[in-house]
Amino acid sequence: MIARHAASVFRTAPLRGLALRREDAVLLALYALGFALLHWAARPWGGAGFFSLWYPAAGLRFAVLWGRGARLTPWLVLAELATDWTVGVFSLGDPNVAQAITGAMRPGLTCGFAIALVRHLAKGRGDALALPPMMLGLAAVTAPALNALMVVPFEAWLPVEAGRYRSGVDIAISLTGLAVGDLLGILVLAPLLLWLAALARGAAPLRLRAVFSGSHLRPLLEDVLVMALCLLLTIALWRAGLGAQPAPGLLAGAWIGLRHGRTAAWFAICAQVCVFLPYSAGALGDAQRLELHLGLAAVVLVTWLAGSFSDAQKASRMLLDKRNRLLFQAERLKTLRAMSVAVIHEISQPLSTLAIEAAHLKSVTAHLDADTAASAALVDRKARALSDLVRRLRRFGGRDVDEPSPVPVAMLVQTACQIVAPEARAAGGRLDCAPVAADLAVQAQEIELTQALVNLLRNALAASPGQVVRLAALPRAEDVRIEVSNPAPSSPDAASGGMGVGLAIARTIVEAHGGTLTRHDEPGLVRFTISLPLLTGAFA
Amino acid sequence: MTHEAPVAVLDDDADLAATVARLLGRNGIAALAFTAPQEVLAALAGTAFGCVVSDIQMGEMDGFAFAEALRARDPAVALVFMTAWPTTAHAVDAVRRHGGIDYLEKPIDEPRLIAAVTEGLAWSARQRRIAAVAAVLTRREREVLDLMVRGYTNKEMAPVLGISERTVEDHRASIIAKTRTNGMAQLVALSRGETI
Repeated sequence: MIARHAASVFRTAPLRGLALRREDAVLLALYALGFALLHWAARPWGGAGFFSLWYPAAGLRFAVLWGRGARLTPWLVLAELATDWTVGVFSLGDPNVAQAITGAMRPGLTCGFAIALVRHLAKGRGDALALPPMMLGLAAVTAPALNALMVVPFEAWLPVEAGRYRSGVDIAISLTGLAVGDLLGILVLAPLLLWLAALARGAAPLRLRAVFSGSHLRPLLEDVLVMALCLLLTIALWRAGLGAQPAPGLLAGAWIGLRHGRTAAWFAICAQVCVFLPYSAGALGDAQRLELHLGLAAVVLVTWLAGSFSDAQKASRMLLDKRNRLLFQAERLKTLRAMSVAVIHEISQPLSTLAIEAAHLKSVTAHLDADTAASAALVDRKARALSDLVRRLRRFGGRDVDEPSPVPVAMLVQTACQIVAPEARAAGGRLDCAPVAADLAVQAQEIELTQALVNLLRNALAASPGQVVRLAALPRAEDVRIEVSNPAPSSPDAASGGMGVGLAIARTIVEAHGGTLTRHDEPGLVRFTISLPLLTGAFA
Repeated sequence: MTHEAPVAVLDDDADLAATVARLLGRNGIAALAFTAPQEVLAALAGTAFGCVVSDIQMGEMDGFAFAEALRARDPAVALVFMTAWPTTAHAVDAVRRHGGIDYLEKPIDEPRLIAAVTEGLAWSARQRRIAAVAAVLTRREREVLDLMVRGYTNKEMAPVLGISERTVEDHRASIIAKTRTNGMAQLVALSRGETI
């Protein structure tokens, strides 16, 4: 029964992924409007054999599919068809309606496929190519290329109207025009739209102040200078009768992209496009316009890929730095452990002798004068306190080291509570472990992290004996916060020994996991908070 | 509470060895302190220890190797281990594989040490009495005694051992004469190492 139910869930899961959600419907309505407007705006750059050499609608399409996932493809294609039909691109009575519909469906389908393909290929790869900036760049190039390449197979089975393509050269011109228009549209519009969407979600903070600060001024000046020189060179070559040479633009784009990443690259692209598009929209021959846009497409492409590559490199360097820091923390933890174990051993040997002799001294001096008896009793008490401390310290340093793996926070909390609960009961206190949401997980060495929690709980119990110690875990943005709190002790020096070491070990463990351990007291309450990065399914 | 067999305390820390030995002495248990495993093994020639309290980490010979050497020379010595590096694996080893009575963490818990040593001495005394009984009997007599305490009659015993009923009776008489016991109950107690 259960098995059959599970099987049916698995069978319908992919279909459910394709289902239209309410927020998607709103988005698609807006999309249809934007698509129609941008489609109309592209007309001045048209020519024989192609619709337009600058097609911003492709950028809008790409941004929507990249931002919301390729699963939206069928709905997006439907929205495009509805728009085309509404504005009269084709009518249902037309004898070539089948051809018109397949032609209108192709760009959306190939774009969705290209995005899904790039995401799929990047999955499981660890190099810079699989990092988000580079993935976006690759998809932005793949989508128009695939769109143009698929024209022939899409139309091969249709009764093509006679004389549509007179030769292979016509086909080549038509496909090149299509690819160039899409590429320009995507690379100019999609980054801007995706950035705006991230801004709206609150994922990308707006740092205008940082942009105009001194640290950004020099790169800005450098980029502007390089861009201006290259544009001047392009214009000079043009005036000299050598045509629209892309080489200076390529140089500037590659320089700016590699030096300062995608944002700078996008502004460089905009500068180029703003200079050339008004000119190419004017009275130019098709061949000239195609030539100009081919050069422009090459420049835009190189600029964007250079920017993406630079950002991907930066991201991968940051990843490496983070890994190195974690490694350093783990090494520190190992040293701390080895040292404390050695110290405990060295102390426990003479302490054994001291404790036995002190106890003996106390019992044989009990009947002597009050001063001697009190001295002996004091020595005995201190020796016993020290023995207790050594035993407690021994429990703070866990020994087993395991491999990092995804661990549910609920499990960590439960294990730590199980370990400490009997000790709490024996000491007359109580542990209150709040239930934890089952979907919270962290990438962790389970035994280590449990040890950190246990240390905090033991410290809390020792600091407020006979009272309630609380443990709770809550998600906060991209982190999970695990809080251990206890009523503040009445006198500040009531804390028993060994707590500093337990805390130091807990802190080192947490930091080795890329988290933080902080103390936020409230009136009458001591609270330690472990903050750890939550494990999420999506990489980007 | 005095025991005839003394206790050996072995620790490479001479002060601790002496302190533990004196602690046992104050509790009515005669104890000698040693700092090297070889000293204890050499002392076995002159003294039959009832119990050895041994450290686990020592210079050239660790506590477990020492335990094996000790058992090879005298199987009736009880062992109590103590350590400053407690691990679960050690604790299990100490008790299961090396027949230790207890496994104590340093700093040492005094009542637990006394209890472990007392138990060890009693176990050792039983083992020695069983060995003493076995020593005076012939191999055949030991077999007959073994079956007797398990409730076999002479008639049942004869076919098992492959001898006549008459011969069984002879062995039986010899056992009673040698152990100077009076009746079955005393024989059973003797075979378990209990005092009569």
